[in-house]
Amino acid sequence: MKTFFSKIADTLRRAPRWIYIALALALALIFPMLESWGLMETLWLRVGTRALVYVLLAVGLNLVLGETGLLHLGYVAFWAIGAYTTAILSSPRTARLLYMVQEHGIGKALTTVTQRTMQIPEELIGFHIGFGWVLLIAVLIAMLFGFILGIPTLRLRGDYLAIVTLAFGEITRITFNNWEPVTNGPGGIPGIMPPNIFGWVVDKPGEFFYLLLIVVVIVVWLLNNLKNSRIGRAWNALREDEIAAHHAGVHSTRVKMLAVVLSAGIAGLAGAIFGYYQQFINPQYFPFMQSTIIVCMVVLGGMGSIPGAIVGAVALDTLPEVIRQTFTKWLPDAFGPDFLPGVQAAVQTDFDRYRMLIFGFVVVLMVVFRPEGLLPNKLWRRETHEVDPREQEQTRQHLFDLEEGHPDLEA
Amino acid sequence: MALEHVFSLTVSGVTVGMIYALIALGYTMVYGVLQLINFAHGEVFAVGGYIAASTLIWAGIDDGMPLWVKVAYFALAVLVSVAVTATLGWLIERLAYRPLRGRSRIIPLLSAIGVSIILQNLLIVIFGPEPMIMPTAIVPSGSFELFGARIRVLQVVIIVTSLLLMALLTWIVKGTRMGKAMRATSQDREAAEMMGIETNRTISFTFVMGSALAAVGGFLVAMYYGSLQYDTGFLYGLKSFTAAVLGGIGNIPGAVVGSLVLGLAETWGVGLRLGLLAWLFVAGFGLGLYFQFWRAPRGRVAHIAEEFRTPAYERQLLNVYRLAPYSATKTILSKRTDALVAVSARHAMRLMTGNLFLLGFALLFFANSDVQFSSKWQHVISFSVLMAILMFRPSGILGEHIQEKV
Repeated sequence: MKTFFSKIADTLRRAPRWIYIALALALALIFPMLESWGLMETLWLRVGTRALVYVLLAVGLNLVLGETGLLHLGYVAFWAIGAYTTAILSSPRTARLLYMVQEHGIGKALTTVTQRTMQIPEELIGFHIGFGWVLLIAVLIAMLFGFILGIPTLRLRGDYLAIVTLAFGEITRITFNNWEPVTNGPGGIPGIMPPNIFGWVVDKPGEFFYLLLIVVVIVVWLLNNLKNSRIGRAWNALREDEIAAHHAGVHSTRVKMLAVVLSAGIAGLAGAIFGYYQQFINPQYFPFMQSTIIVCMVVLGGMGSIPGAIVGAVALDTLPEVIRQTFTKWLPDAFGPDFLPGVQAAVQTDFDRYRMLIFGFVVVLMVVFRPEGLLPNKLWRRETHEVDPREQEQTRQHLFDLEEGHPDLEA
Repeated sequence: MALEHVFSLTVSGVTVGMIYALIALGYTMVYGVLQLINFAHGEVFAVGGYIAASTLIWAGIDDGMPLWVKVAYFALAVLVSVAVTATLGWLIERLAYRPLRGRSRIIPLLSAIGVSIILQNLLIVIFGPEPMIMPTAIVPSGSFELFGARIRVLQVVIIVTSLLLMALLTWIVKGTRMGKAMRATSQDREAAEMMGIETNRTISFTFVMGSALAAVGGFLVAMYYGSLQYDTGFLYGLKSFTAAVLGGIGNIPGAVVGSLVLGLAETWGVGLRLGLLAWLFVAGFGLGLYFQFWRAPRGRVAHIAEEFRTPAYERQLLNVYRLAPYSATKTILSKRTDALVAVSARHAMRLMTGNLFLLGFALLFFANSDVQFSSKWQHVISFSVLMAILMFRPSGILGEHIQEKV
C-alpha cells in the first residue's frame, strides 16, 4: 500500500541527479545576494560561509572515513596546519620572521621569542606571500604531514589509526600553542591580509562565500570523478574487506596512503582559506572536539556519500544557530517578547553545553539505528541493512521467469 | 644532588605510571575480549573521580576528623564511585556496543567516540564546566625523606592501593572461574561459546571490572592533583591507551609495564636535562642491540609458519636476523624472492633503523646537554612515544595477546 507521502518520496528519489545539483548551486549562488538585497542579516552570511568551510572538511574526511573506512580523529590538525600556514605567510608576522631569518639565521628565528616592539626595516613592512602560493604551500605541507602520519600507522590494524590520529591532532594543537617564536602561542596571529586573486581583493563575507563555493565545486567535482575511478573502487574494496581486496591485487598500504594524503590536502586547503576569512588564528579554533564534529557530519550525512557529507556539514553547522535564533529572536518576535522567557534565557546561556551532548547522541543513535546515514551511498546501504523482502521476492520471481519461461505463456 | 633529584622524579613517575596502569588495564582487557578501543573508558575514569569527590563533599568530610573516620570516608567514596562506574560500564556495553557486534570494525569505534562525547558533556551539564575540587581533608598531607628525596605519603598511598588492586585483578584473572572464562573469550570467542562459556556475561564482567579500576584511578588522580576537569578523562584515557599499546595490547602485565615506562618517560622527559636523558637513549640502543642480536632471533623464528620450518631454513633465518643490515642488503642485492626471508630482513631493517634513531637522538641530546624541556611539552613526549612504538615495534614491549581473526 502506497501512501501519498511515500509516492512523493519515490518521485523525489527517481528525479535525475542533475536537478538536485542545479537546485543546490542556484540556492548557493543566490544566498549571498539575499544579504545585499537586505532580506537577510549578515550573521547568516557568516554562518553560511563557515558552513562551506565545514563542507570542504566533511567532504575531505569522507574520503578517509567513508570511502576507505579508516577512522581519522585528528582531522582538525591538517585544518590547523593550513590555517597557520596562511597566518604565518600572509600577516605582519611574515615580515618579522623574515627579518629574524635575515639577521640571525633560521635556527635563531625559530627559537627566539621576539618583542612586539621589535623594529623591522621599512622595506619589509607589509611583506607577505600571495594567495596562490599560500594555498599551494598549505596543501603541500598538510599532505606532507598526512604522509608522515601514514607511515607508521597504515600498515597496522585499522583502529590504531584512530588513536594515533587523535594523538597527532593533540600534538599539533599543543605545538601551535607552545611554539611561541613562530606561532605567537596562545595569543594567536592577528592581522591576516585579505587575499588578492588577480586583482580581486576578497575581504567581504559575501565574496568569501563565492570564493569558497568555487573551491567546493572544484573539489567535489574532482572527488566525485575520483570516487568513480579505479582508485575509488580500490578504496571501497578496502573498506568492505581488506584481505579480499589485498588478494584481488589492491596495494592496500599505498591506496590507503593516497586517501589519507589527499584528504589531508583538502583540509589544508580549507584551513588556508579559513585563515584568510577569519583574519585571526589561534590554537583554540582547533580543539579535539572540532575533529569529532566533522566526524559527526560525515556519519550523519552518510559515510561514503558526497551529497551526504555536504548535507551533514550544512545541517550540523547551521542547526545550533537556527535553534538559538528560533528561541531568542523569531518566536519572541512572532508571539511578543514574553514568549517562553525561561526557555529564552536557557538557550541564551546554556545552549553551548548541550550542543556537544546532542552531537554525541546523534552519533550513537545514527550508528545504532541508521548506520548508512541520511543520504546513504547505495553500497553502504546494502551492506548495513537487510534486503527488503519484497525486493528479494521480485528478484527471485524475475530469475524464475527467466529460467522457466513465463508461466502465463505455458498455460 | 642530581641523584636525589632523579630519585624523586622516579617516585613521581612511578606514581603517575600506576594511575595510568589502573586505566590501561581496562583498555587492554576490553581490547582483549572485543578488539575494540573503548574510547569511553577515559570518561568513565573521570566520572569515577567526580563521583568520589562529590560523595566526599556530600558526606561532609572535615579536617578535624580522626584518621580512622577519614579512612572510612575514603572507603565509602571508593565504594560509591566504583558502584556508579561499574553500572555505567555495564550500561555502555549493553546499549552502545552489544547491538553493533559483528558489524564492520569502524562502526563500534564510532559509537565509542559518541559515548565518550556524551559522557564528557554530561559531566559539564551536571557538574558545570569549572574544575571539581577534591576536599583537602581526605588527602594525606605528610611527607618523609628517603635517600635524600622528599616523598609524599600520598604517593605511597597511590602506589600501594594500585599494587593491591593489581594483585586482586591477577587473582581474578588467574584464579577464578570468571577469569578463566575471560581468558578463553579473549583467545577465541566462538570456541569459548561452544565450550559453554557465556561470553556475553564475560564481556559485561570485563567492562564492569575495567570501569571499577578506572574509578579508583580517577579518585587517586583527583587526590594527587587536588582537582579534576571534565576533559581530564580524555587526556588520561589517551595516555593510558598509549601505555597499553606500549606494553602490548591485550597483555595484562604488559599494560602495567607500559604504564610505568610511560610515566617515567614523561616525568624524566621534562624533569631532567638532555645530557642525562641522552644516557637513557644510549641504554636503549644497547638493549636494542642485545635483543636483536642475541635474544630475539630464536623467539622470532618460532613464529614462522610450520610448513617452512626446515632446519636449513631456520638457520638461514637466524643468520638474516643476526647480521641484520648486512644480510638485508645482500637479500635485496641478490634479488632472492623468498618471501619470508625478505619479510624478516625487512623487519630486521626496521629494528636497526629504530636503533639508529635512538643513537641519533642520544647524539643530539648530548650536543644540547644543558637544555631542559619545559613541562608544557609533557603531552607531546608521551604521544611521541606512541608514534615511535608503532613505528618500530607495533606489538609492544611484552607482545600483544589478541585473537588474530579476520
